[in-house]
Amino acid sequence: MGLPTPRLLPGFLLAVTVVAELAAVPLSWGLEPAYDTLLFAVFSCALAGTGALILTRHPRHAIGWLLSGLGVANALTGDLAQGWGLRAAVEGWPGGTVAELIAGASWLPQAALFILILLLFPTGHLPGRRWSLVAWLSVLGVVLCGPGALEADPYAVDGLPTPFGVGITLIAVAMLAALVAALRRFRSSTGVLRQQMKWFALSSSFLVLTLIPTAMLWGASPLLPVLSAVALTLWPVVIGAAILRYRLYDVDLVISRTFTYLTLTILLGLVYAGTVVVIGTFAGQGSPWATAGATLLAAAAFKLLHRRVQERVDDRFLPARQDALRSVAAFLERLRADQAEPEQVEDVLRSSLDDPGLELWFVLQGDDPPVDARGRPATARPHDTESFAVERGGVTLGQVVWRPRTGQQRAMLPSVVAAAGMAIDMARLRVELRHRLEDVEASRARIATVADEERRRIERDLHDGAQQRLVSIGLTLRHAQHQLGSDDLGARQTLDGAVAEVAAAIDELRELAHGLRPALLQAGLGAALRDLASRAPVPVDVAATGDRYPPDVEAAAYFVACEGLTNAVKHAGAEHIQLQVARHDGSLVVSVADDGVGGAAVGRGSGLTGLSDRVAARGGNLSVDSVLGRGTRLTAELPCVS
Amino acid sequence: MRVVIVEDQVLLRAGLARLFVDGGHEVVATLGDATTLADVVETHGPDLVILDIRMPPTYTDEGSRAARDLKSWYPGTGVLLLSQHIETAHAVDLVGQPAFGYLLKDRVLEVEEFLETAARVAGGGSALDPKVVAALVAPAVGSPLERLSERERRVLELMAEGLTNAAIAQRLDLSLRTVEAHVRHVLLKLDIPEGEKGHRRVLAVLTHLRAVHEWS
Repeated sequence: MGLPTPRLLPGFLLAVTVVAELAAVPLSWGLEPAYDTLLFAVFSCALAGTGALILTRHPRHAIGWLLSGLGVANALTGDLAQGWGLRAAVEGWPGGTVAELIAGASWLPQAALFILILLLFPTGHLPGRRWSLVAWLSVLGVVLCGPGALEADPYAVDGLPTPFGVGITLIAVAMLAALVAALRRFRSSTGVLRQQMKWFALSSSFLVLTLIPTAMLWGASPLLPVLSAVALTLWPVVIGAAILRYRLYDVDLVISRTFTYLTLTILLGLVYAGTVVVIGTFAGQGSPWATAGATLLAAAAFKLLHRRVQERVDDRFLPARQDALRSVAAFLERLRADQAEPEQVEDVLRSSLDDPGLELWFVLQGDDPPVDARGRPATARPHDTESFAVERGGVTLGQVVWRPRTGQQRAMLPSVVAAAGMAIDMARLRVELRHRLEDVEASRARIATVADEERRRIERDLHDGAQQRLVSIGLTLRHAQHQLGSDDLGARQTLDGAVAEVAAAIDELRELAHGLRPALLQAGLGAALRDLASRAPVPVDVAATGDRYPPDVEAAAYFVACEGLTNAVKHAGAEHIQLQVARHDGSLVVSVADDGVGGAAVGRGSGLTGLSDRVAARGGNLSVDSVLGRGTRLTAELPCVS
Repeated sequence: MRVVIVEDQVLLRAGLARLFVDGGHEVVATLGDATTLADVVETHGPDLVILDIRMPPTYTDEGSRAARDLKSWYPGTGVLLLSQHIETAHAVDLVGQPAFGYLLKDRVLEVEEFLETAARVAGGGSALDPKVVAALVAPAVGSPLERLSERERRVLELMAEGLTNAAIAQRLDLSLRTVEAHVRHVLLKLDIPEGEKGHRRVLAVLTHLRAVHEWS
């Protein structure tokens, strides 16, 4: 088009259409079925409106002009002319016959426009140059048909086909060719074009499927013309939506849902009819039982069939859903083969549902606030997101928080999430495990802190109490020594000895209080344990090598041995005790076995519990094997990172 | 020697006082805490103040804070700080001042040695408890103290306690010349400038030890 596109023309055409229809409706009112009048008026306006809408975005788009033209043509030559013709016949106005002629022939130019739309959708360009022949054929057909359509073919020559006959054949041929063009375009289309063609095919199929029974059964039911009018109106709207790419990617979903409900309708119809026949045979024709039973059964069947049918149809008509399910299945396979971590399920959902911002939140326990994949409390859901509860086996695992852009994404989510259920459950369990571990580690640290504080308190008590008292006892002894003067050498020596004892006691107290490693540990765990054994009131066998371990590990092992020995002597009434220290798999294993009464447990004696905590605080573990009457074996494993 | 005793425990306070009296010294005042210490020192002008580190109200470091104040007002008055346990932090902070000593409490049971040390401090000398010294000079891995021989480390300990070369020779049963050689070696190995005497030498050693401890 060399001329500048008139910007206001589409709006003008729409206005003409609306005004023509506003005039046509009262003219036809009461003289033909009301739905005929109203729905075709809406059809015209939909055509012109969609055309105008397309032209505002794409001013040169042929489909826009064709739709606008189709709308104006239908409004003026179809509805307005017909209305005038009908009203004129009743009121005796002039021009009624001409108007009726025009209305009668109005389908002709519309057929040409329709063929052009088939040829040009969705690009506005012909699929190839030779296809222009089809366009010219349709125009030629319309021209040839023209006179014959207006009145009994005035140019008919006997023995030859009438021009009308030739014209209508040409139009039919052109129509078929245009259909072939559209089908070829559909088959070779990909991406956006494919989606557009799908929309086009969907609405066109709906149109054809409703127009054929309407034409065949005209008047059989008032429902059919209404249905076809709806299909007519939807057709331009869908074409416009496809060209403007509005919700382009939902076409698969719409097709899928259409097929689902179509299949359901047929199946339920069969169920209903079958039930009516069967119950009718027994309860008599027209029995209310038959209707009630059939309704009930159909309702039950709907519940039963709906999901299954939808799944089947979705499998066939939602390729994106298929792709998503495939990628989830592949992920699960990798998970089983130990090539993936359950936490990656979030990424899999992101890519398969095409939402990079998608988040998986887990609910660890009943009413606890959800946490994210790293176990951190999930922040409040942003207002523009949607959430979908993830459930498995009746348990709420968490929720998917995301921003779906299409209805198709929304429709895919439940099945994709269900498919990934196992991985989500595993990820949640792992998050929960980590959470628990952190709890345990925190409480362990708290225990260690409390123990340290307790030690400090005891230390202070010893310094400020017992130790000071010992010092003053020592001073008193020294004073007594002084008072004795130099007379009694024996008594002076005795007092010297007593002061030395006091000093030794203070030293020991200081070592104890300071929480220092027992002095003997400096010579090694084996030596310290042998010293410990030598001071025990019952025989103790010590099996220990000269190996050295990290100082805190040696200290912990020493305390385990002390506590074990004390328990064995005090509580178990042991007569013989075995002390063993060995290195095992990077751990120091210390065990104290006795032949006492047995029946000890970590939970009961606070000493053992404290010891267990002490060992646990160093990442080790303490076990007590104690059967009544068969002695006790206390074993501590202390990992040593040396 | 005129002595003031500041100690919160009554029995110990009485015992200490008796010890000084038995040793022929004069105890001019005994206090339960350090709040009135400045006035008492002002009034009596003692040669030596015996201070417990932990005292009311917080039982943390009242004694060492009182010692620091005392040293700034009456630098000549001897101050002997007593502690229940080995606390190197307080020691390193204060030792090195003239007429200052820091001992574990149970040293008082070795009456003669204790009174000697007390007299040394009152006379302007230094004293540091052997156990505190041992805790300071226990060689950490990689510390320069590892370079010292057993005998040299012992000499360093005695230097840190505040002993003179002669006293060290006597204590270790060595000749003075041998001790002097050891001291030279120690100072050389630890890169400490030689030629200092008495508490200055202690200061040098301790400053060095503190650096070592902070470093390790």
